[in-house]
Amino acid sequence: MNPVTEQHDLVDKVMAELPAWLPAQRWFGGKDRPVTAVRPLRTSVLSAADPVLLHLVVEVEQPDRREPYQLLVTDVVENYDATTEPELTGRLLDLIAGNASVDGLAFAHEPGVELQSGLRGRTITSEQSNTSLVFGSQYILKLFRKLTHGENPDLVLQRALHEVGCEHIAQPLGSITGSLEGLPTTVGMLQQFLPDAVDGWAMATTSVRDLMAEGDLHADEVGGDFAGEAQRLGHAVATVHGDLERALGTQHADAEDIDRTIRAMVTRLDSVVEAVPELRPFVPALRAAFEQARDTPGAIAIQHIHGDLHLGQVLRTVQGWLLIDFEGEPGAPIAERTSLRSPLRDVAGMLRSFDYAAHQLLVGRPEDHQLTVRALEWSRRNRAAFTEGYAEAAASSVGDPRERGYLLRAFELDKAVYEVAYEHANRPEWLTVPLSSIARITGEGAR
Amino acid sequence: MAENARPDAALTGLDGVPHTGEAIGADGMLVEPQAEDFRSAKLAPREPDWFKGAVFYEVLVRAFTDSNGDGTGDLRGLASRLDYLEWLGVDCLWLPPFYASPLRDGGYDISDFRAVLPEFGSVEDFVYLLDEAHRRGIRVITDLVLNHTSDAHPWFQQSRAEPDGPYGDYYVWGDDDQRYPDARIIFVDTESSNWTYDPVRGQFYWHRFFSHQPDLNFENPDVQEAMLDTLRFWLDLGIDGFRLDAVPYLFEQEGTNCENLPRTHDFLKRCRKVVDDEYPGRVLLAEANQWPSDVVEYFGDPEVGGDECHMAFHFPLMPRIFMAVRRESRFPISEILAQTPQIPDGCQWGIFLRNHDELTLEMVSDEERDYMYAEYAKDPRMKANIGIRRRLAPLLENDRNQQELFTAMLLSLPGSPVLYYGDEIGMGDNIWLGDRDAVRTPMQWTPDRNAGFSSCDPGRIYLPVIMDPVYGYQALNVEAQLNNQSSLLNWTRRMIEVRKQHHAFAEGDFTDLGGSNPSVLAYRRRWRRPDGHEDIVLCVNNLSRFPQPVELDLSEHRGARPVELTGGVRFPTVGDLSYLLTLPGHGFYWFQLVEAGDEGETR
Repeated sequence: MNPVTEQHDLVDKVMAELPAWLPAQRWFGGKDRPVTAVRPLRTSVLSAADPVLLHLVVEVEQPDRREPYQLLVTDVVENYDATTEPELTGRLLDLIAGNASVDGLAFAHEPGVELQSGLRGRTITSEQSNTSLVFGSQYILKLFRKLTHGENPDLVLQRALHEVGCEHIAQPLGSITGSLEGLPTTVGMLQQFLPDAVDGWAMATTSVRDLMAEGDLHADEVGGDFAGEAQRLGHAVATVHGDLERALGTQHADAEDIDRTIRAMVTRLDSVVEAVPELRPFVPALRAAFEQARDTPGAIAIQHIHGDLHLGQVLRTVQGWLLIDFEGEPGAPIAERTSLRSPLRDVAGMLRSFDYAAHQLLVGRPEDHQLTVRALEWSRRNRAAFTEGYAEAAASSVGDPRERGYLLRAFELDKAVYEVAYEHANRPEWLTVPLSSIARITGEGAR
Repeated sequence: MAENARPDAALTGLDGVPHTGEAIGADGMLVEPQAEDFRSAKLAPREPDWFKGAVFYEVLVRAFTDSNGDGTGDLRGLASRLDYLEWLGVDCLWLPPFYASPLRDGGYDISDFRAVLPEFGSVEDFVYLLDEAHRRGIRVITDLVLNHTSDAHPWFQQSRAEPDGPYGDYYVWGDDDQRYPDARIIFVDTESSNWTYDPVRGQFYWHRFFSHQPDLNFENPDVQEAMLDTLRFWLDLGIDGFRLDAVPYLFEQEGTNCENLPRTHDFLKRCRKVVDDEYPGRVLLAEANQWPSDVVEYFGDPEVGGDECHMAFHFPLMPRIFMAVRRESRFPISEILAQTPQIPDGCQWGIFLRNHDELTLEMVSDEERDYMYAEYAKDPRMKANIGIRRRLAPLLENDRNQQELFTAMLLSLPGSPVLYYGDEIGMGDNIWLGDRDAVRTPMQWTPDRNAGFSSCDPGRIYLPVIMDPVYGYQALNVEAQLNNQSSLLNWTRRMIEVRKQHHAFAEGDFTDLGGSNPSVLAYRRRWRRPDGHEDIVLCVNNLSRFPQPVELDLSEHRGARPVELTGGVRFPTVGDLSYLLTLPGHGFYWFQLVEAGDEGETR
């Protein structure tokens, strides 16, 4: 068989397997309905033989939905998935290092960057909606699994941040660009890898664990106090917001923007409460809180933001805190992900995350008043420290979020409503976390 | 000079002992004892890099053993314990000052650089100690305070009495107290200014430490020569080196903070040249409580492998080890090591957990200092100056696992470890004693009277032995721990032994391995032996009190097998996936990474 026939043959075999294989993949975004068909859109031959390495863009058809995904396939493993083969994935790095173009895929390193080639790429397991490969201890390549038309905001924003010298991101080093319906589309992004990094969730839950083991000590008394870290994290987030503003500009939200934002919150509330009756008692207070956001004094700045900020999207390194994954909420439409929004959304996302970190050890345990009080204490202390750190660094740019208390509260409640829907659908035991937060926030009023 | 006819009148107890200032020469110079007046010790074997892998042991002469029953430890007493120190695996003793002194600053207020404090013995006794130590392969270094003397030193007595005499310019005198306003006050608890008025001379003198410790004037070439001769005096007797105390402060310059000035470095280069030319194999260790980026300056020029001090203490590391364990996060340690620059080839850090001073918190931020006070100094009496006056065991609430974890890190982080006497048996402290005496109580040898430290009447002892129910000498002593195989003492000895079997611990390069779990500190020490083989040691420390898993990226060592170093157990081979280890609370592992096909442990 000649190589070309061999490759066609391989593609056919892969296509036949995919409807069953895809739903078993963690990164596959369409697990809620059956896969009815998979069609190849484009094939690029990265290695013609011994072994074959193909880059495929396929269209996955499901009821009411057709979405493009990328795959890396080979003939040497039974399930054809090449991403788990360190010897093969090294080829991707070599191509980026060489600024190569292969069958419509453009591999490129960032200007002025020199890459070491010949490294093996191993997959890391923490990724959820994409696949990331680590080369040596230097580079990390993120392969976006579900493709969105055009340049990926992750690459666009991090490039812009790097250009203005942002210290709180990992340096972008290269990219892989394919094409989707004639539009150049980012399929991969190479960045500096930080082997010493720990994600913020692991850091925060280490502290919570310490507190919970010392039932008789307050959050500010235990050795594992996190407030210093939380404050530095707030500082880092505000700095990134300031850098995004410097790099890509800012605007003032007009009345229509604000109206649209608040209507979206109310719409979400209405749809979630249909599915989750536990939310019903809070509806009047939630509505009132959303409406009150209109009373936010002064102009509201909107700009590019992270879009899906939580403790899992920040890394503690020996140089300080970094933000990663500027893709925005993977489930949201691309137009929303790239639109200008208030940086307070990111702040609210992080505040919600502190609440989650504080309460995660309590989920599934019998009610324990002492631990609940401690969790709340930890959450209050670290949310305050984060906000304080943010306010310090945002003084000359975004401003003190506490001065926009109504709006911040509305964003936080909106996020909590989203969490209610998510937990109801996926982890009913966790439903108490967002519900108790909603009860508390609506009971306390705006800070 | 009306009240004191003789320049040595302020010296006490030196009658009949050779000392500085017994007589004045025709040129007005004080007569000083010379090394030729004494027998010299047989030198330690010549081994230029000995300090890079040595285990140091700080021992207070006063606190170790009393040979003559006067209630105070002495040099002969210390010499009688050398078998114990050899057994423990100690390579070098560091003795804080044993010079003649009014003892208003623990002997750092030296009143004669060429006489031994009478209660400790004599210069002859010191030579005897040196001989006995060298016979066992143990070296001895001592503190030398270059920066200042006691105000009882005959030099100062001459300087204040005869401003125009040969010593008139030995100290930093001024008509007012206005110069060098940017120099900080170090002992903020007791001093309000760096200047003090001397009614005898009618001028102010400069002092960076206590007001009874006037700073020597290094601008004066005679002072520089006099201090170099002081070095020569002890080096001629056979001493193996000096810990140079308070080195950043030798010179002063208007408009600066008077620390780390270039001329201070120039003088240290002169000291080093004396050592290299006249006494090769001896070491200079800098005590500079500064940030690592400033401290590296004290190693000198990296191009020539360093031409100032051979060693320097790494001060900021120690409080961060405590902070990291308390926070259950490796970042305090990882950060300070990441900020620590490369040091010249011929140099080595000295690292320690505790020493005779308080746990120094100068090198942490204000926020961190508050934190450390809150965590480790729960009683206000535990605080002193800018630090905490506690021993290792009480700092760790006598938790054996933590003591082992801390010691394991001390023995495996980059630098030569310095143990503090008594910590090998987990001795306690007495915070009710004044100043820094809490951590300077007698060594606990046996359950007998005075803990076997002295045969004196217990009322005569220089500080009471520890008698509390937890750390008291009746239960906690060397004899009891020697007889117990699972004691901290036997454990410590074993770990020192393991450390010495792998030169990677001494000179291996250091790589922080990071990892997904913030509570686990993992690092690699890699040493390329002269034969080209590599000795790679992997150290994994659980800083949390809870059991922890960690996944380490050992992809560089795919195919290698970790062999645990205390028991020789062979762990699973490193594969393509990250390497999973689980550790008990405050547990640690030391592994050697053995290449595939290479059976057994290599060293």
